[in-house]
Amino acid sequence: MTDSRAVVLWGEVAAHAASQGRRASVADVCAVACRSARLDGSWLAAARNGEPDFLMCVTDLVGEQLAELQLTLGDGPAHDVLASAAPVLAADLDDEEFSRRWPAFTPAARRLGAGAVFVFPLIVGAIRAGVLGLYRTSAAPLQDGQLGDLLILAETATVMLLDSGRDHAENGNGNGVGLDGQAPDLALHRIEIDQATGMLTVQLGVPVAAAFARLRAYAYAQDRRLADVAADIVARRLRLHRDPGQDGGS
Amino acid sequence: MDTDLLSDTFVDLADTMVADFDVIDFLHVLTDRSVRLLAASAAGVLLADPRGELRVAAASSEQVGLLELFQLQNDQGPCLDCFRTGQPVTADLAARAQQWPRFAQAATQSGFRTVQALPMRLRDQVIGALNLFRAEQSPFDPAELRIGQALADVATIGLLHQQNVRRRETLAERLQAALNSRVAIEQAKGKLAERLGIDMDQAFSMLRAHARSSSQRLTDVARAFVDSATADFPPPPRR
Repeated sequence: MTDSRAVVLWGEVAAHAASQGRRASVADVCAVACRSARLDGSWLAAARNGEPDFLMCVTDLVGEQLAELQLTLGDGPAHDVLASAAPVLAADLDDEEFSRRWPAFTPAARRLGAGAVFVFPLIVGAIRAGVLGLYRTSAAPLQDGQLGDLLILAETATVMLLDSGRDHAENGNGNGVGLDGQAPDLALHRIEIDQATGMLTVQLGVPVAAAFARLRAYAYAQDRRLADVAADIVARRLRLHRDPGQDGGS
Repeated sequence: MDTDLLSDTFVDLADTMVADFDVIDFLHVLTDRSVRLLAASAAGVLLADPRGELRVAAASSEQVGLLELFQLQNDQGPCLDCFRTGQPVTADLAARAQQWPRFAQAATQSGFRTVQALPMRLRDQVIGALNLFRAEQSPFDPAELRIGQALADVATIGLLHQQNVRRRETLAERLQAALNSRVAIEQAKGKLAERLGIDMDQAFSMLRAHARSSSQRLTDVARAFVDSATADFPPPPRR
């Protein structure tokens, strides 16, 4: 049931990209996220050195201002979500909890016209890829189905960012396009994928984000399910090489 | 029922819930004590994320085969039934081969004959399940089930630790944080297992022992180790 929802949402992302005449990117994820959860705008920032400070896309001016505000002020939900690895679901910014948590951000966001702000970490365990933020002008909670959709879309954006490579994100060339624009394999919630990612940091001598990207790239190149490749690595039936060319096609 | 063991268990659990405790570590203690208290062979806590997917949060042993038994229940098995109905599920695995073909076969191959799932509830919502296995063909008796349910309730309380549950969003936020912690711990297990040529269960024990001895949260130890540029363990302090 979960998988089929991911497929539906990916279809919407791909259709949005096609309507813009481009390959699917995180900008399309932002647009679909707004539409699917009936929100007024969104932004997506990639993280460098643990701070969500590289703005990759915005859907509107208020979304852009909300993102910029947090960079300028140094407080706000985007900082919290990377630190806690949990989403912030601020359904009513007038709730005193939020003016206490973000004394600078909250009144400024209200002045920009935001009534509710929802920010999702783009995180896989220790890998911090960025944040996806959304707002609406009125105060209202997300419905359960909307929350589930946003979590799926946040995962989609996460793998797009990681598949496209951090180097691109850091020098501004990448826009979070996944492997050949294909639907990302979102079967992320298998512990052997996480274990294999950790093992690959040692096998390949690379940072964890790169290890995750290599695991996915290998599965894609071999046309195998990510979880199956990961299980082979965990069972020590498969090792990857520092030079991707040596991984072979057998 | 051993009442000394029972009171020790709840004292231990309360002791673990100090300020800023690590929820995954806490749930691990809870599964470990559940095994001893309820004469079980293995125990696990599964949490339902807001998409309705059941994910492993903690287990009494980190052996790959046991974790797979929990993972399988995202598709079929007593925890999925328990999550959907909100009711405890007691099962003799031999009698459920038709109902849960993949799960029953895998559990039997792992040496289990009896399985029990107990719901973790918050108000009217089921947020996960405590899962118990026995090698013997012997169902949990009513007294054991009451204790088991109390442990499942404590697991729910632990998950919501220190949080003001006034906002309905708090639960979803806590769940995602716990699940993300678990992912970081799995990555750290993989890195350590590869570095030292040990199995995942041993790697988990080392991570946990280091967290204890250095008074750090297990999740923080895991993240710092995975983030570290070297594979040395414990990781050198950051400059």
